Amino acid sequence: MSWGGQELRAFHRVLDSLGNLDYTVEVVPLGDDISSAFGARSTRPPDLVMLPQPGLVPRHLRDLEPMPAGLARRSALWDELLVHDGTTYGIPFKTAHKSAIWYRPSVFRAAGLQPPASWPDWLTVNRALAQAGIRPLSLAAGDGWVLTDFFENVLLGIAPAVYAGLATAAAPRPSRQPQFAAALRLLGTMWSAPGSLAGGVQRSLVQQFPDAIIEVFGHRRAAMVLASDFAEPVVRQFAADPKDVGLFTFPSLAPGAPAPVVVGADVMVLRKPTTDDARDLVRRLAAPAAVDPWIKEGGFLTDVRLKGYSPELTRLAEQLAAPGELLQFDLSDRLGRLGDTNGLRRVLTDFLVKIGGRGAAVLPEAVDAAVGQMREVEG
Amino acid sequence: MELQTNGLTLEVVGREVSGRPVPGRPRRPAGPYLLGLPALLLSCVLLIPIGVTVVTAFRTPDGFGFGNFAVMGDPAALHAVRNSLLWVLVAFGLVVVGFFLALLSYRLPGLTPFLQPALVVPFAVSVLVSGVTFRLLFDPAPERGTVTAVWSALFGSSPVWLGPGLFWLVLVSAFGWTWLGYVVSLFRAGLDAIPDDVTRTIAAEGVTGWRRLWALEIPLLRPITGVVTLTVVVAAVRVFDLVLIAVPGPMQQSADVLGLNWWRATTSGDPAGRTAALGVVLFAIVAAVGLIGVRGLRRRRWAMPVPVARQDAALGRPKPSKRARRIGWTAGVVVSLVWIFPAVVLVATALHSPRAAGLRGWWSPSGLGLSSFADAANAGLLRALLSTALIATAATAVLLAIAVPTAYLVAWGGLPAWLGRVVMSVFVVLAVTPVQMYAAPLRDAIGAAGLAGSRVALALVHAAAGLPFAVLLLRSAFAAAPPALVSEALQGSARQSAVLATVQRTYRPALIAVAVLEFSMVWNDFIVGFLISGPGTTPLSLVLWGEARQFAASSGTVAAAAVVASVVPVVLLLSFWSTVVRGLTTGSKP
Repeated sequence: MSWGGQELRAFHRVLDSLGNLDYTVEVVPLGDDISSAFGARSTRPPDLVMLPQPGLVPRHLRDLEPMPAGLARRSALWDELLVHDGTTYGIPFKTAHKSAIWYRPSVFRAAGLQPPASWPDWLTVNRALAQAGIRPLSLAAGDGWVLTDFFENVLLGIAPAVYAGLATAAAPRPSRQPQFAAALRLLGTMWSAPGSLAGGVQRSLVQQFPDAIIEVFGHRRAAMVLASDFAEPVVRQFAADPKDVGLFTFPSLAPGAPAPVVVGADVMVLRKPTTDDARDLVRRLAAPAAVDPWIKEGGFLTDVRLKGYSPELTRLAEQLAAPGELLQFDLSDRLGRLGDTNGLRRVLTDFLVKIGGRGAAVLPEAVDAAVGQMREVEG
Repeated sequence: MELQTNGLTLEVVGREVSGRPVPGRPRRPAGPYLLGLPALLLSCVLLIPIGVTVVTAFRTPDGFGFGNFAVMGDPAALHAVRNSLLWVLVAFGLVVVGFFLALLSYRLPGLTPFLQPALVVPFAVSVLVSGVTFRLLFDPAPERGTVTAVWSALFGSSPVWLGPGLFWLVLVSAFGWTWLGYVVSLFRAGLDAIPDDVTRTIAAEGVTGWRRLWALEIPLLRPITGVVTLTVVVAAVRVFDLVLIAVPGPMQQSADVLGLNWWRATTSGDPAGRTAALGVVLFAIVAAVGLIGVRGLRRRRWAMPVPVARQDAALGRPKPSKRARRIGWTAGVVVSLVWIFPAVVLVATALHSPRAAGLRGWWSPSGLGLSSFADAANAGLLRALLSTALIATAATAVLLAIAVPTAYLVAWGGLPAWLGRVVMSVFVVLAVTPVQMYAAPLRDAIGAAGLAGSRVALALVHAAAGLPFAVLLLRSAFAAAPPALVSEALQGSARQSAVLATVQRTYRPALIAVAVLEFSMVWNDFIVGFLISGPGTTPLSLVLWGEARQFAASSGTVAAAAVVASVVPVVLLLSFWSTVVRGLTTGSKP
């Protein structure tokens, strides 16, 4: 698995609650090196992998065993990634809602504002907050995935079909899509607005998502932070005022259009060849009640449950289950090499450095540069 | 001699025999060669994978050639090479600074008692820990980061120290913090060993100031300068974990060094030939530095004298004036405080709860307690401590058992001169070989042998990696024992016990130095565990690394884990430091 720190401890609690097992479970944290669980370089391959990039499943079918039969039916959303030729190769263990924005309601109240209902609305809110002397956004650019999540929401919001096309293409070429540049322009409008980023670009670059959360809720220097549901324990741990915590979901990009929802997951997959013990463990972990300890700690969503969460996470769970939502998986996972540290993440980081807080005048040139850079990565 | 026969008297005259009495070469007993066998076997743990890497680097789809080295045309790789060379400059700068600090402490004797422990502690902790410490110090939030807080208080606002460009300051300070103590201690030992009559002669001739430096200290310290420069430069070229832990994600690319570039290439699935070529280039740089350094050492005219009898203190240097002592004392206190400060920050952060450490700096009085330590214990720290202790002990034991007979063989085993030279050169090159050179094939081999995650395998790799340095050091010590004394002891013409006591006095520091350095090096290791061991061995550094991935949220836990991880090496090195320095410097004959 790729978890560390609090998440790892929570998972240990889940394992402890499974009761007596006939076998011992050794937890192997692989960090960002998770793809090595399949690689030739893997020295002692784990039986059961909690894969944080479900987009990798279709590429590793050869290495995977089918899931044991008789598990709870998951939402059809997953079939695209996890079911091939009628065989299920993975079961989502933990779902990530990547379109969540945590904010401080007190600041909004003081400025007489409501959480934004649309993208233009959000830009207005940011301006109003900046005028009231509060930096609207704390951006965790130190974690590359925060930038890609931001971008994916915008792209999904303006061009769902293009997004879906890129996600499923064998050789995706994002830079060829005019909507790619359009999404960059929209995103750039927010990031380049003077006074929008807490601490400016330099500060954003050294912030990981917990730092950004502490800026908003601990040191109270900013109003909002884009962070998934799993940020919940960090928010609660560091909030100066536990009651002053709010959450809204990514607004629609145009009034009336559906709001984008980007989904990620840690998916359980079994490596070939597997054992009965490993199958048994999957069965136990897939039971909806198994994850109770983690849900109690917060920062955990699963698509087989709608209840038991904090009010904020309940809303996220309901949005994930609601029909007709604009739901899509994390694009950067599915772009493979193009989406990783040297691909989209790098492009967006450089884009942010070029425009952050500098006003809309620098936008056209920066968008062109970013598209060019993406084209270079595509080769 | 007279012979009489058949009435003749013959005079027989003898003459000195010249030339060999028996044709052929002198017979050398083969027995001692067996002493080198274990070392040969252990070295194969490194030599074979190194060979595999070299072959992979030169193998192209159509035969052998330099095709894979086209990877060096890659701008990212070139950038990494440039950064690695910058690190070499940093190392040279550090040696110069360390030299002058040692000179200062020599001229102002009051300084030493304070300076020594303050300088040793950073050397004892792992690179990972010093990276963590400096990341805490330079944290961008004025509530948490000491430097940012002080700067903001003085000038209103503070630059983002970990940001683009400025992260170099953090990296170089962390590196300097770690290594300066080693540099100063070794130079200081060299200065102390300069015979008083030489100093007095120079003084009587009226040579002072810079001229004295050029005439006396610099030439006499040349051998030690060689050893120091070699160690620090090799450490600088090998910088790896420091960048990984101290530099935030978006700046990682501009901080890239060759070793890291290699690692990124391996994990992103680049062809084996290209990554092997990167490893070979890194190796070539380090080996060149190593061999040049050793050649420099050979051209010296003066060796560290071995003190056979303790000097009479009354005959030592004249006592410095009261004023000099007072200045020395003050300077000592100030420098020591500055130097020990990062360690204080680390311990104080660890003594705050995770919440308090994430929100406020180490100076904050709220949230004091041991809950960060409890959190670290929950993260598997205790198991990792045990695991690390086992690995480090096993590696040290294996190393001593193999290095001592080998060093004896090389020093006195009667190896033909050419073979001795070859063996020493191989060990010098092996001693500086970067892990990247053997990591990939070794990892595959360990996996194929079903030994992945085995502590024994990891301990063996550590012992093999430590062997070259240990043999070089022990051989110097063995060779430095005055041969006359040794033969007298063996033939019984002097009182054996007294002589043996002298001999033993020359060996013991080197033995202790090898054992202490190997143990703490294995204890503090990150890169071997990270690149070679499979999951399951869980050395300390990997636990620390895992916790540090979300730095701010877990800074209390990370600091606590770092403190726990550092206790053993700090205690070990503090208690044995003077012996270790003696072991490192005594008769270091290359």
